[in-house]
Amino acid sequence: MNGEGSGPRVALFDYGAGNLHSLAKGLEAGGARVTVTTGWSEALAHEALVLPGVGSFGAAVRALEGHEAEVREALLDGLPCLGICLGMQLFFPDSEEGEGSGIGLMDGRVRRLQARTVPQMGWNDVETTEDPLFRGIAGLTAYYANSFVCEPDDPEVVVAYSQYEDQRFAAAVRRGRSWGVQFHPEKSSRAGLALLRNFLAEVSS
Amino acid sequence: MLRPRVIACLDVQDGRVVKGTKFVELRDVGDPVELARRYEAEGADEIVFLDISASHEGRGTFLETVRRTAEVLFIPLTVGGGVRTEDDMNALLRAGADKVSVNSGAVRDPDVLTRGARLFGSQCVVASIDAAWSDEGPEGPGWYHHTHGGRQRTDLEAVAWARECARRGAGEILLTSMDRDGVRTGYDLELTAAVADAVGVPVIASGGAGRAEHLRDGLTRGRADAVLLAGILHDGLTTVTELKKALAEWDVPVRLPDAGS
Repeated sequence: MNGEGSGPRVALFDYGAGNLHSLAKGLEAGGARVTVTTGWSEALAHEALVLPGVGSFGAAVRALEGHEAEVREALLDGLPCLGICLGMQLFFPDSEEGEGSGIGLMDGRVRRLQARTVPQMGWNDVETTEDPLFRGIAGLTAYYANSFVCEPDDPEVVVAYSQYEDQRFAAAVRRGRSWGVQFHPEKSSRAGLALLRNFLAEVSS
Repeated sequence: MLRPRVIACLDVQDGRVVKGTKFVELRDVGDPVELARRYEAEGADEIVFLDISASHEGRGTFLETVRRTAEVLFIPLTVGGGVRTEDDMNALLRAGADKVSVNSGAVRDPDVLTRGARLFGSQCVVASIDAAWSDEGPEGPGWYHHTHGGRQRTDLEAVAWARECARRGAGEILLTSMDRDGVRTGYDLELTAAVADAVGVPVIASGGAGRAEHLRDGLTRGRADAVLLAGILHDGLTTVTELKKALAEWDVPVRLPDAGS
């Protein structure tokens, strides 16, 4: 699928499972020209990379296997990236959810939520910071569907927090031009679409 | 803080939304894509589509409906009806569903929940339980799970079956009281609380919503994480916005669409 917009050319990586339609349409609504791809060299040749939050950790790391270093270097070189939910968790070296390794863009762990009710399913408030990802969005409430959360070693990378039961966790992280969000902007109605537009504005800046 | 959810449910047959009581006297109430968008605009937190088409052609139409909806809907979409295998689940997810609900398919082959969770993540797998009280079930008087749109009683006691579904990988329970379905006297709070207390995954209360008080009671006394509505919305008796405003006045912390999202 190839989007029609006049904005940045964005690669939406397909691990082979789950719904990519809403995210593709959400990015296109923000002007992006979206290519859905299963190939890393094609993906990294775009102006931005989006790692979607669908499927299981196992399926995603199988798709990443052998390309971890190549993707990490591209992101460290400044390729703008948005990782959503599972896509954010792939920024970290490994996960309690399964075997295999992530990109290793950030140090830390991906751990199961310590809560009575898991998965966390539904809309939760997000305490945002001044990061451009949240520009113009007041009082963000976003949709989550996750059993795992990221625990970065360096608290400086966290640009938003949410609270679930007794646990405060990283709702969003950033390193350079790579952002990860634990919630689903493509499922968070108008505020989520505004966040996708903010990401695309950063890509173009 | 996680917000209790208000979910709009649409029964879809051959590409149209229909409504009837217990699958009789079905009436056409509109286009699924348009209705889903309207409910998003009114502040619904999620949409559920249940495919009640019987025919093979109906299934193809349903996938197309899911695809068209996913392109314009920016809140989660759960779909169900006739899902038997992980391939059925994958087809619906690839068409644009975020979660897939399984009922009869899980009774026939409970491991489909486990395989679905492994392939797609448990947050995609919803176990749908249709429960009705029976004085004569094999485990004695209690709520029993039904399949085939409520037409067949199983020997599965509903609370134990909910626990089993969650243990096998379901990330959410969609719990419908058949005794209350369509009668608008409120959710079965005793059933809902019994299931909510028994499982460690979110529970959606369904069947019986007639007014805002019923939603409040389902979320408080019923201890549900979400409440599901159908008929009262399609009949134009109320809107999601009105219901959520009433809930907020009673200090139920629902997401209000005006508050920035």
